Amino acid sequence: MVRHRLKSRLSSIFRRQAAESDLQRELQSHLDLETAEQHESGLPADQAYYAARRAFGNPTLVTEDVRESWSLAWLEHFFRDLRYGARSLLKSPGFSAVAVLTLALGIGANTAIFSAIDVLMLRPLPFSSPDQLVRIYSIKTGIADTFGNPDGPSAPDVRDFAQRSHSFQKIVVYDTWRKNVSFGDLAGEPEQMRVGLVPAAYFEILDVKPIAGRLFTEDENQVGKNFVAAISAGLWKDRFAADPSILGRTIRINGEPYTIVAVMPDLTPERVESGLLDSPKVWTPFAFSDVWSETSRGERGYLALARLKPGVPLEQAQADLSVIAAALAAAHPVDQGVSVSIKKLADTRAGSLRPMLFLLMGAVCLILLIACVNLANLLLARNSARQRELAVRTALGSARRGLIRQLLAETLLLSLAGAAAGLLLAKAGLASVMMLHPANLPQLEALEIDWRVLTFTLSISLVTALLFGLAPAITGTRLNLVDALKQGGRSGTAGKGGKRMRNLLVATEMAMSLMLLVAASLVVQSLARLNRQSLGIRQDHLLKGHFYVPGVRYPDPSAIARFCDQFANKIRALPGVIDATVTTIYPPNNGWTQMLGIPGHPATRIQDIPAAQFGVADAHFRTTLAIPLVRGRDFAESDIATSPPVALVTEEFRRRYFPSQDPLGQKIHIGPPQFMQLPSGAGVTDSSDVTIVGIIGDFRNNGLALPPEPQIVVLYSQHPLVNYGFKDIVIRTASEPSSLAPAIRRQLHDLDSDMPFAEVQTMEALVEEESGGERFTAVLLSLFAAAGLVLAIVGIYGVVSFAVAQRNQELALRIALGATRANVLWLVLKQGLEMATIGAAIGLLGACATQKLTSSLLFGISPVDPATFAGGAALLLAVAAMASAIPGVRVMRIDPSEVLRQD
Amino acid sequence: MNPKTSPNRRELLQGTLDMLILRTLLFGPAHGHQIAKHIQRTTDDVLQVEHGSLYPALHRMQQKGWIISQWESINEGKREFKFYRLTKTGRKQLASEESKWKQLAKAIALVMSPASSEE
Repeated sequence: MVRHRLKSRLSSIFRRQAAESDLQRELQSHLDLETAEQHESGLPADQAYYAARRAFGNPTLVTEDVRESWSLAWLEHFFRDLRYGARSLLKSPGFSAVAVLTLALGIGANTAIFSAIDVLMLRPLPFSSPDQLVRIYSIKTGIADTFGNPDGPSAPDVRDFAQRSHSFQKIVVYDTWRKNVSFGDLAGEPEQMRVGLVPAAYFEILDVKPIAGRLFTEDENQVGKNFVAAISAGLWKDRFAADPSILGRTIRINGEPYTIVAVMPDLTPERVESGLLDSPKVWTPFAFSDVWSETSRGERGYLALARLKPGVPLEQAQADLSVIAAALAAAHPVDQGVSVSIKKLADTRAGSLRPMLFLLMGAVCLILLIACVNLANLLLARNSARQRELAVRTALGSARRGLIRQLLAETLLLSLAGAAAGLLLAKAGLASVMMLHPANLPQLEALEIDWRVLTFTLSISLVTALLFGLAPAITGTRLNLVDALKQGGRSGTAGKGGKRMRNLLVATEMAMSLMLLVAASLVVQSLARLNRQSLGIRQDHLLKGHFYVPGVRYPDPSAIARFCDQFANKIRALPGVIDATVTTIYPPNNGWTQMLGIPGHPATRIQDIPAAQFGVADAHFRTTLAIPLVRGRDFAESDIATSPPVALVTEEFRRRYFPSQDPLGQKIHIGPPQFMQLPSGAGVTDSSDVTIVGIIGDFRNNGLALPPEPQIVVLYSQHPLVNYGFKDIVIRTASEPSSLAPAIRRQLHDLDSDMPFAEVQTMEALVEEESGGERFTAVLLSLFAAAGLVLAIVGIYGVVSFAVAQRNQELALRIALGATRANVLWLVLKQGLEMATIGAAIGLLGACATQKLTSSLLFGISPVDPATFAGGAALLLAVAAMASAIPGVRVMRIDPSEVLRQD
Repeated sequence: MNPKTSPNRRELLQGTLDMLILRTLLFGPAHGHQIAKHIQRTTDDVLQVEHGSLYPALHRMQQKGWIISQWESINEGKREFKFYRLTKTGRKQLASEESKWKQLAKAIALVMSPASSEE
């Protein structure tokens, strides 16, 4: 059937020749008869022929109309138009090159940003029925939680959600912890990595099946039976060379042996959200001794994943859980004020990048529009230069419709060529963005140009072709034949309408380019402000690294304290080290919020309990980081485990909790008040009260962009209950800090060969990474603004030169009649400046209108900053003046006698 | 012949022109020139059939299967013309277009001269 149809199509193409001559023969016979009749009615032979022709009309047009009634005619037209288009474009290579480059910039930028948006927001997740997958969060109103994780639920809460809700197939609670993992002597150095603590349900919800081996059993979720591990396919290849006999082998996690029972695919939500580097590649069962007991209900910060029942909408599931959360809040004091929120897993990908992506998408849209405007202008100029050609073709019988179609075919060709070049540009651009390697944008790892991106590029190039091609094609073919032919191509009438349109387009272009300029400048300024932020410490010559002292070999807090002291002492003895401190605190983020009991701040409701950023350190903390001591004394070597516990607090702490009192000598209780009835074993409280002995300067502990929060620092040697194995070491060096990293690693290895030294970074690198997202936006936006400005310059230059070429005679005449060269220059400059001024005004209004979009990305600067607005507008005007000065200077050199003698 | 106007007028006349052609062919086969002349003559030169519309219409109707064409010579082979003749579907088409036309004409007559509408 299909074959038959194809055959008949093909034969119809071959029949075309026959049909064509048949038609000619038919029309000829008609003409002949008409001529004969005219002759018979008395006209001489030659006049009879013309009379017949007149009566018949335009034979070419009749032929075309008839042809159109034949099938496939449109396809042939299309190819013919493309062929003509290609030929005419090749005839003006300069124009074509500029056009393709312009489009490549616009389409390339859009393609690159779209591929990022696609990866982060649009593309379906690589799991089965990904729309059913959701994350569950707990949201606290006005209460700081014990571990500083703002929105993870607790295990008992999730268990109750699972038991009482009706909207889910399955709900799982799990976690990821950084642990020391050794793969055995043959498989290389130990490594600190995130280990997934997951029951089998985690993989079942995702519908991810083992490549080899089996999922964990229910039994293995019990402490003591949990020494089994699953590894990722990637790890299996990297560390074990994809050894087929991997199952049954042993790896050591935090010093304890685990048997490998499964190899899992690399596919997990963490992989999508955090990228390859930081996603778990090892999983062990979710086994905690007391995680399910009622006393753990306040221990939030776990991760929760669920699969909705088919057909259950998100809102219904949310309502279902909200009812349960309200019941829990009524039944349990620690759940007071805690509500629940669910989010589609697909929507958690972009995270904080969302506003940035929207801004960038807006920016690239502007660039594409500017490119379109530029091209529309170029085409307008080109078409008016081609007016004679078009007029001749109309006179020879082409229908206007056909001319428009053919002009559009040209723009389509340009657009497709631009798309191809744009793709290459996008590919190169993405590669260089990856070189910037923004460490806190791991989601961009999956960026690639695939068929989805190609489809997008093709569609925008088609839309683009229409956008920039339609208006010039329509105005270009609105010809007055007699005028166009008579003018002999001398100056080609750029009608008043055409000129106004070109000026309007350039003004629009200027406006858009100014909007880009303002946005880029604002983001760059706020980045500079962010980087100028004082951390409150001396940030040069500082190195930091993380290590974990595992409980297996260091079973009690005093063993951990001993190890930390020993390590710090060895480091302090190294040449090139000025000071070192083992601590859990370093700027710009702390992330451990602790409830406190403070005299003068009684709390009966959970919302009123005082809280502060909390951390433990050794006595060298303040001196190593070089934080100023405001009043009182620093920690001393004499503050030991058995002496009365002491604390340092920051100025902000004093302002918040002791506004009118002297905090020195005051006693503070570490932990929530008794009425919350949290067991001390949960590790959230500490029996001993501490005495404030010193006030130190504020330092950034809540990110670069937010003001410092109240901070309290205690000694780990004096607080065994909060002396966990997780520790950082911060080192003040005399020389380049990163050069000391190998020596420090060696010291740690000497103390414990199973302990990896992780997250080694200079403080400066850390701060830079912290503002990575902002820098990424700033770099891209600046590039886009530059591209927009260049396009705008080309646009204004093009229009002014074209106008000058048209007015050559007039200007020459003016000079001949006594106008000074300066007068003439001003005449030309004025045109460019007029457009730029109108454009600048519109652009500033546009920037005001879009301030909502930019404001979320700015820090310490208003989205309508007057200086930035003024500067941007001034730059635009200057550039416009320069671009128009080039043709202006050319005009000054006109020799009037020569110009006026032409034609 | 102004290239600007012909497509528009053809659009306007299309339905009517088709009917007139079919009606003309009801008397027997005819070639394009004859069809044009016949319509012109029978309407006392009121309707000038534009050739720019006639031939595309003929080819279109042929594709729809209302008419078929054949080259035939007249005057003992002195001249050859492409003759069109009505098909069965063409007759049916004519019938339906005619009745539609009559309805329309009647309706217009009712509006234009209400008194004389009763026959």
